[in-house]
Amino acid sequence: MLRTALRNVLAHKARLLLTVLAVCLGVAFVSGTLVFTDSSAAAYRAAASKNYADTAVTVLPEDPPPGAAADRSAPALDDALARRLAAVPGVTAVRPSADGSATLNAADGTPLRAGQAWANLAAAYVPGKDAKDPRYPLAEGRAPRNGTELAVDSGTATAGGFRIGDLVTLATDGPVMTKRLVGIVTTQDPRVTAGGTLALFDRATAQKLFASPGHYTGIDLAAAPGTDPSALADRVATVLPAGRAEAVTGAAQAAQQTVLVDTLTRGYAKLPLIFAGVSLFIGSFLIVNTFTMLVTRRTREIALLRAIGAGRRQVVNSVLLEALLVGLAASAAGFVLGLGIAAVLPDVLSTAADPLPRGPLVIGPRPVLAALGVGVGVTVLAAWLPSRRAAKVAPLEALRAAEQPPSATRTRIRGAAGLVLLVLGAGLLVSLTGVKDASVANLQRAMAGCGILVLALLVLAPLLAAPVIRLTGRLTDRFGITGRLAGQNALRDPRRTAATASALMISTALVAGLAVLGNSTGQALDRQAAAGLGADYVISTRTPTTGVDPAAVRAVAGTPGVRTATAVADSTLVAGGHVRQISGVDAATVNDVITLDFVSGSATGLGPGRIAVSRTLAREQGLRTGSRLAARMGSDQALRQYTVVGVYQDNPVAHDALGARTEVQRHAYAPGSVQRVLVRTVSGTASPVTEARLRTAVGRNPLLTVQDRQALVHEAAGTLGNLLTLMYGLFALGAVIAALGIANTLAMSVSERTREIGVLRALGMDRSGVRRMVRLEAVTVAAFGTLLGLAGGLFGAWEVGALANGAIAQYTMVPPWGTLLLLCLVSPAIGALAAALPAHRAAALSPLKAVAES
Amino acid sequence: MPPTPPAPQPSPSLRSSRSSRLPGATGVAGASGAEPAARAAGLTKVYGTGDHQVTALDEVTVEFARGRFTAVMGPSGSGKSTLMHCMAGLDPVTSGSVRIGGVELASLNERALTRLRRDKVGFVFQGFNLLPTLTAAENIVLPLRLAGRKPEAAWLAAVTGTVGLADRLGHRPAELSGGQQQRVAVARALLSRPEIVFADEPTGNLDSRTGAEVLGFLRDSVRELGQTVVMVTHDPVAAAHADRVVFLADGRVVDELHEPAADAVLARMLRFESRGGGHR
Repeated sequence: MLRTALRNVLAHKARLLLTVLAVCLGVAFVSGTLVFTDSSAAAYRAAASKNYADTAVTVLPEDPPPGAAADRSAPALDDALARRLAAVPGVTAVRPSADGSATLNAADGTPLRAGQAWANLAAAYVPGKDAKDPRYPLAEGRAPRNGTELAVDSGTATAGGFRIGDLVTLATDGPVMTKRLVGIVTTQDPRVTAGGTLALFDRATAQKLFASPGHYTGIDLAAAPGTDPSALADRVATVLPAGRAEAVTGAAQAAQQTVLVDTLTRGYAKLPLIFAGVSLFIGSFLIVNTFTMLVTRRTREIALLRAIGAGRRQVVNSVLLEALLVGLAASAAGFVLGLGIAAVLPDVLSTAADPLPRGPLVIGPRPVLAALGVGVGVTVLAAWLPSRRAAKVAPLEALRAAEQPPSATRTRIRGAAGLVLLVLGAGLLVSLTGVKDASVANLQRAMAGCGILVLALLVLAPLLAAPVIRLTGRLTDRFGITGRLAGQNALRDPRRTAATASALMISTALVAGLAVLGNSTGQALDRQAAAGLGADYVISTRTPTTGVDPAAVRAVAGTPGVRTATAVADSTLVAGGHVRQISGVDAATVNDVITLDFVSGSATGLGPGRIAVSRTLAREQGLRTGSRLAARMGSDQALRQYTVVGVYQDNPVAHDALGARTEVQRHAYAPGSVQRVLVRTVSGTASPVTEARLRTAVGRNPLLTVQDRQALVHEAAGTLGNLLTLMYGLFALGAVIAALGIANTLAMSVSERTREIGVLRALGMDRSGVRRMVRLEAVTVAAFGTLLGLAGGLFGAWEVGALANGAIAQYTMVPPWGTLLLLCLVSPAIGALAAALPAHRAAALSPLKAVAES
Repeated sequence: MPPTPPAPQPSPSLRSSRSSRLPGATGVAGASGAEPAARAAGLTKVYGTGDHQVTALDEVTVEFARGRFTAVMGPSGSGKSTLMHCMAGLDPVTSGSVRIGGVELASLNERALTRLRRDKVGFVFQGFNLLPTLTAAENIVLPLRLAGRKPEAAWLAAVTGTVGLADRLGHRPAELSGGQQQRVAVARALLSRPEIVFADEPTGNLDSRTGAEVLGFLRDSVRELGQTVVMVTHDPVAAAHADRVVFLADGRVVDELHEPAADAVLARMLRFESRGGGHR
């Protein structure tokens, strides 16, 4: 049996090669992604363990038990404790630290890699016995000595364009500071190598900024070689003030840090895995198609085997065994290709602002097993259906010449099943028409609807092939008899045509749907942001826990060209278990800077205990103007009753609710602070000059952003950039697999129609005519897939759009005509390209093939 | 060529005279002494190389006169099919000359050969070889459409009428009987008014009654339409429909008969086969 299967595989090398390629692509993405994640995790881990290599135990202030928040005023980590720790047996060195975060401005005045606090590290440079800090080896210059100096790591210096002697602008949590750069150090801290920044201050300055004068945020202890860290931690614990400090081993810290970095970078694996899934899904159609064609071709042979006594089981096994061999080959090839992908992925996914750590490729058992499992599994599963068909071959068919067309009952069953799926999928999507929000349940319903719709298209495709290709035939008929023959050939086996077109159909549907949704959402967000914002500039803090200092607000108001500067305090409003955002505004000036569209009530009634809510919040909580809402605002522990004085259309600038600024500020996390300043200019427009003045007014504080309308809109649409990458990536992948499928089917068709092509050649069709005929057939198949995919994608986007319509008031479906047109043009081109080789082979056939009677 | 051979493309007058189906109108093509429709001189075809060389045709010289129905007979392996393939421009010759309508095939490249087949040669195959996706009518006009020409309605009606297919034109080959399919093939071969029609065992897949019908059409096309037909066959009954029978054995022309009767042909055939020329 194995020998038969092996011989069959070798006999159809070329045919199976294309199948192998398709499976191989999917496997490559899977194994490549896994190798990549393993490798980058290993790189981080290596960096983390190196960093903690000489730290046996760290002493940290103990987190106060919940509820006892007030008792933090007694810092325990000071120099006295450090001296006591040095006396603990086994401790060879004591290194106190004062860590926090600091955001820097690059030399050109723009914030440097500003983002989450974890990425912008700050620490104290604590000289040891040799006046050097072993954690931060100096590469250049000297250590900071007083509050006017700082040092950074070499990566930060390069990214920021800093040189020794430069003045660097930075902020830790409040107003902006300026310090002179005196030293550049190197560091192995994975948070920094993963794309963060590091600023080093002298000990006193760091203590003042991040702890309190004379105190530390942690004390690292080095131990003599051979010391057990946990035993040491136990010994250290005995000298610590109870309840105020704790001892943690370096290993535990390294592990914790790795977990953090892992979670931060886990998202990188998502995109390649999506590609893997899609390519395997589409590729499985190619496998089904190839094996179906092979089985059809071998019908006689199989019937003969059955006639001489082979059981059904044996026939099935021989086909499956063949699939197993193909799957093994594909897995092996895919794994090798995957290593290549893993090697280039860091380059692809890294950006200048967001570099990934480098390290050698780590090949664990996981990717190997995954490659084998996925490659062999998908191939064998996909070959199972054709193998069933092979088993159904009756011994009598060895004697029957022509292949049987599918019976009318089967066609009817297919039609009925397809229609049921279509109605089900469309029904699910149509049921979303009335929904008001994009809740998880609704999204799942939409996904299920789209999935069922795709299935329906796949089931119905063979039945749709005839009418659709007759339609496209009107175009191909213009190419004369070659076009007519091409169209007729594509119609000959609608099931095969449909299966071949399915790869292009699915990728076109995906891309068309995503393109429409992306375009429509982008434009809606544009309109929404533009419609809601009355101000010309928005100055805001990067994190809600920090505030714009009052001096900066005054400076902004006094800036030339500024008509009004309205401060907005942002906080939270917890109502009915949901956390919502509330903006604290001044009732008198709010309409000046936020364009509010009130459904009922107005902003004039805003005051303590009186709020306005967005339409979505009103719907969620069942509120109307005049009704009361029990909620907790910001840091306020008490649940209070608030009167609703107005309901407005959702507005990204106003957030979910509006309150009086004085009240919101009272309950803010940083009491008395404001988080946004909405600026209207005298001219009513934005200009680079005004923007520069505003930046200067806030002291170029890297924690604050100054954005004009356009920048705000751009930020809102920022996530769409990823969607675009995904979209084009998916389409490219789908196109490659579709091309493989088309080439495969056509090669099979050409070899089946050797005699027919010979007849055409004998009757006077020249070689270019034969080539054109094969190419036109490919284009017909591709066009069929594209048309079906476009229809499905647009319908899906239209129905899912209803969901978006509930979430974004200004949503209307705006098809990106350019992209869609491009899709329509590219797909047939792919078909023509894929046909190149089969067309060449067909044209090389001798006309003698027709007359040589077999 | 001083005697002005008939133009390769039929002149309008010829066209009308042919479609009028007057028996006397065949005189032009039938005139002796004019350039024959096809001629082979010293035609040799060798397959394989070295030890495996097989000489299929050995210095064959033969002429097929215009307006005549010639049968090429011979036992299996005598080279009759090879002769047809070489003369129709389907298989390149090893040496010697083949001319169709005065054109030397050896001088033609692939493209020109294709054009020659399209314009000057008609084929009728044993296995019908109709395009299964095209209707009968589309199959009949296929060579013309390949040439980018439009069939002349009157001529098309005449040809389809002659082969008796007027009411089956919209059917696909699968919906036609074997005899009907071969009639479509005959109509296809005749429609472009080729210089010569090569028929390769046209009755091989047909029962004797439908076979006789098809042979009748071929003969009518010669008599009434002035067509030149060369038929390869091993069936003496089929050969008896021809004006002339050329006998091939071991790649050589060994004999010929004019206005043969079936029993005479059979007798001749038996003679060659018993001589050891055949392999059966």
